[in-house]
Amino acid sequence: MSAALTVLMLFAGAYLVAVLEGWASTGKLRPVGPISSALALLGRESVVPRQPDRIFFEVAPPLLLVAALLAAAVLPLSPGLIVTDLATGALFVNAALAYVMVALLMAGWGPDGAYAMVGGFRFLGQLIAYSMLIVMPITAVTMRAESLFTTEVVESQAALPNAVYQPVGFVAFFVAAMAVAFLPPLDLPTAPGELAGGVMAEYTGWRLAVMRLSRVVLVVTLAAAVSVFYLGGWLGPALPPWAWSAIKTLLVAVAMLLVGRYVPRLRETHVLEWGWKIGIPLALFNIFYVGVLLLVV
Amino acid sequence: MLQAIFTAFFGLAAIWFAVVVFRTHSMVRSALALLFSQAAIGGMFLAMQTEFLGVLQIMMMATEMAIMTIFMVMYMMDPGGLGAMEMTHQKRASQVAGALGALAALAVAFFTSWGPITPEVRPAQQVHDLGIEIMERSMLIFETAGVTILTVMVAATAIAIMRRDEE
Amino acid sequence: MTTLILALAVGAVLFGIGLYGALSQTNLVMILMGVEVMLGGAMVNLVAFWRFLHPEAYSGQMFVLIVMTVMALEMAVGFSIATGRFRAKGSVEMEEAQDLKG
Repeated sequence: MSAALTVLMLFAGAYLVAVLEGWASTGKLRPVGPISSALALLGRESVVPRQPDRIFFEVAPPLLLVAALLAAAVLPLSPGLIVTDLATGALFVNAALAYVMVALLMAGWGPDGAYAMVGGFRFLGQLIAYSMLIVMPITAVTMRAESLFTTEVVESQAALPNAVYQPVGFVAFFVAAMAVAFLPPLDLPTAPGELAGGVMAEYTGWRLAVMRLSRVVLVVTLAAAVSVFYLGGWLGPALPPWAWSAIKTLLVAVAMLLVGRYVPRLRETHVLEWGWKIGIPLALFNIFYVGVLLLVV
Repeated sequence: MLQAIFTAFFGLAAIWFAVVVFRTHSMVRSALALLFSQAAIGGMFLAMQTEFLGVLQIMMMATEMAIMTIFMVMYMMDPGGLGAMEMTHQKRASQVAGALGALAALAVAFFTSWGPITPEVRPAQQVHDLGIEIMERSMLIFETAGVTILTVMVAATAIAIMRRDEE
Repeated sequence: MTTLILALAVGAVLFGIGLYGALSQTNLVMILMGVEVMLGGAMVNLVAFWRFLHPEAYSGQMFVLIVMTVMALEMAVGFSIATGRFRAKGSVEMEEAQDLKG
């Protein structure tokens, strides 16, 4: 029961984020936008490239959706509303997000097309840049919670949310979350305008609908992860807990989309350089800082 | 009973994908088959109730094999696999060696009496106990592993980096 | 008992497949993959022994962590050597690597 309710709220959030993304990129607010474009995609002809790697071509869109849903399965909406409360929840989020990489690699190699392959392998470079930046802030968060349960991570923030307690980690995790969801300015695998859609270039019809759905679910999952790890999940004064989770997740998603409107796309070399030379020392400093705060203060 | 079924299922998946690794002609399929074989091994860990190791294995192998894919595309002669080249040597000898190794290990597994089996473990307590073990008894091993990782990072970069006088 | 024997059998078969791969392939990258499969089989055996025979001794899990680390590290060093060799000779076929000189 609670599992079905959580998945339902996840898809409701995904619908809202899709409407907001359309508003952010085109400037027009169309509440029925996602439904009409999904119906249009399902009605169109599904063109398959001439010599695809058939297994990869078919498996990539569902694998992306499964990876996003698995990561969302361990994030709590309220004290009882979680699909599965794993004892290693915080690590499982990271494990599920690693399969986003596998799905995009398959989507890049499968269609036997130049733009898709360039997009897929560019995402591999982006992964090397962001993978440390996504694990080390989670380490610092679980240091404060003294447990890997996501529910205990939220409850440890009752006094002070982690965004104030560990601001460096918050910024690093926010940027890394945008990199995982390949949102602009870090949208190297899809790169509309430069790679003609990159990884999604060769997909048409219902497969493209599944890819776009998975991408929106991924954005919502990462916004929920940011709000659970850093903004205190369901904690808040007046409203019911699930309302606070929903508000915080939507605010984080809006912030991610707004950053994409104002910052130009980063080059691959810059992403790698800044990720390793600036990001990793900052993440290590964050762990040291949290350690000092926990042991001394 | 359920544990035996899941362990058998993930074990068969691991074996099947490991066979695909060496029989397919496409190099990218080989690397991704290895990924799914290791992920099935991670699934076996989860079926045997070692939650931390299972999740860690699944996470690490996804990243490692994705990087292996790009190395295969760089260094192999036929990454798409459409040329169907023969890429083995001493095939008969290595088949015999592999079969003998597997049979020896199977014989040891079947014909040894292993003693009493513990029926229950508690997954939620394991993460805490593993952490205490790492930080108290096995601290020296852990630090050695950390220094080894740093040394290997420096060494691998030093071997692979292009020297300035060649540019 | 059946699950223990099952897990040990899977580990044995994976070891055999990995040994076949490591001995029969000519390309360095494929040899590395054979070694990875062998180490995977060894890890399955380790976890089965830990879970069914000595769940109170966490040094078993520590051993598995070290084996996982070693898997990643030997892949890294192997690929850096492959990079160096590819730059020097243009291929990483082990059949051609029969001279000590050059």
